[in-house]
Amino acid sequence: MKFLSLVSNEWIKIFSRTRTWVFIALPILIVLGVAIYGKVNEDDTVKSNWKQEVTQQNKDLKNQIAEAKKDGSPKFVAESLENEYKQNQYALKKDISPYETTSWKFMKDMAPLSSLLGLFVIVVASDIVAGEFAKGTIKMLLIRPYSRWKVLLSKLVATLAFAFFLWVILVAATWLFGSIFYGFGGMDQPYLSMVDGKIHEKLISEYVLANMGLEFIEFAVTVFLAFMVSTLFYSSSVAIGISLFLTFAGNALVLFISSKSWAKYTLFPNMDLTQYLDEGLQVVKGMSLPFSLGMLAIYSALFLIITFAVFQKRDVKA
Amino acid sequence: METVHTLELKEVTKKMKGENVVNHLSFGVRKGEIFGLLGPNGAGKTTTIRMIVGLISMSGGEILVNGLDIRKNYEKAMEQIGAIVENPQMYDYLTGYKNLMQYARIMPGVTRERIDEVVKLVELEQAIHKKVKTYSLGMRQRLGVAQALLHRPSLLILDEPTNGLDPQGMHDLRNYLRLLADQGTSIVVSSHILAEMELMCDRVAVIQNGKLIRIDNVTNVTDQAQARVHFLLQGSLNDAKSLLAEHFPEKTAEVSDKELIVEANTTQEIGDINKRLVEAGFLVYGIQLKKKTLEERFLEMTGKGGDLNEVSVAGQ
Repeated sequence: MKFLSLVSNEWIKIFSRTRTWVFIALPILIVLGVAIYGKVNEDDTVKSNWKQEVTQQNKDLKNQIAEAKKDGSPKFVAESLENEYKQNQYALKKDISPYETTSWKFMKDMAPLSSLLGLFVIVVASDIVAGEFAKGTIKMLLIRPYSRWKVLLSKLVATLAFAFFLWVILVAATWLFGSIFYGFGGMDQPYLSMVDGKIHEKLISEYVLANMGLEFIEFAVTVFLAFMVSTLFYSSSVAIGISLFLTFAGNALVLFISSKSWAKYTLFPNMDLTQYLDEGLQVVKGMSLPFSLGMLAIYSALFLIITFAVFQKRDVKA
Repeated sequence: METVHTLELKEVTKKMKGENVVNHLSFGVRKGEIFGLLGPNGAGKTTTIRMIVGLISMSGGEILVNGLDIRKNYEKAMEQIGAIVENPQMYDYLTGYKNLMQYARIMPGVTRERIDEVVKLVELEQAIHKKVKTYSLGMRQRLGVAQALLHRPSLLILDEPTNGLDPQGMHDLRNYLRLLADQGTSIVVSSHILAEMELMCDRVAVIQNGKLIRIDNVTNVTDQAQARVHFLLQGSLNDAKSLLAEHFPEKTAEVSDKELIVEANTTQEIGDINKRLVEAGFLVYGIQLKKKTLEERFLEMTGKGGDLNEVSVAGQ
């Protein structure tokens, strides 16, 4: 199939860049480092006296909650502290130690690393179109017997495949190192989350898998966004800058507009899908997982339509 | 049926910012012909080439490649074209070979043997497995030629192909293009360097301000007995001029410095003029035949204008 040759060309180009190997190696090294560090500094006294520790934490939390209510911080700050407080209480009552580290707990703790991967994916997606315009290589590619949309689609498919690849690497590395250092198993460890103001106890493996699945959807939308920016701008560094700014400033922006009624229709509050796994982390109210998935689908379609329409018509003067 | 041109442009127009950068341009390139697009920088050569290979859209007109309308049969038409548009920009983080592989993978019928063959042809065997970022401009140019030839296109389009080539490289390229043309490949070459076009092309289209000024047969231009004969003589040049006007009323003679310049068509004419001058007592100590070059033709065709300053006569 000829289209697949286009995709494999893009794939080869991605993997011929030194930075790609850094993107692959860095998460693995970080996971390994954290696993080793955690194992070395494992505090057995805290582990055995966890009840004391948690009780102390709750005392602190209570003060913080009172303070948050007094000084007029946004409502969700107090709410999330309260949730933490309730979870701690529940843990004490049911005798579920939050200090028990298993491979799955380790995977959960490593989840924030996915935003680092998000950054890498933005770099690749931003460069894959804009970079070829900047270097002028795009014209060598567009004079081939392929309609423009096929060339662009091949780049999109290659970027998504690369995002998926990075994500698999992260999942595999966290599971492997977690298992090596904290033992295989631990899938049935209980995990506490808040749903509708009540504490729910579920399996940590269930939580981790759901978390990873949702994160990959976030990844995909990030790719669509960066890909659009990449197509609209001629310079890859400008494209990378804009995409990074949108992604990170977007989250800050959410705080500003969180009280507005239209906030839930904007992109960024919907970009954080894992918020639905733990209620109380929600900044903008009135959204649900199906709602957010729907909004993301609409935004993604919009991004792709703009990307392909612009690319199809553009005069290449590079 | 009309013979199908390998490439045919009909009334091709490109508007940019309200101006016709390419203005109702029509020409046809025959099979096995080396066709030159000649004009100063900014005349619309590159814009025309970009329209042919689909990099920019046309505002009007039609482009046919072996009879296929590039707007209706884009992929089929592009299969038959190999091209370099301005500088061949390759992926400099890949080796030359891997660059060629990129294109080999997506073009029909390119085998590894074919890649080796083309690499040998452009004499890059030594460097082909080195990264392109280590290449000189000339090597990049040759790699560009290689990628354009890979799939044996029936139409080869080279925009300023001799950029960065040394004289030997230019010579080799010319010979190779001639070989390809003899095998039936049609070649379009653009340049603002006249001497180069004269050596390389069969026909030349002169373009200025997006318009076709004329299409000329290069061999005609050089062989046509439009020679200017310079008589170097002692004595009054003005007397010689009136002598000529008397005996050869159809000729116009010019006087410059120590020369009498006459346009003459045949050796007979030149001999006759010389005889007259000698018989009238002029000491003729030299006769020089200067053929009109493409450059002079070009100047004649395009008239005077600031643009002409951009036209180089020889290499850059």
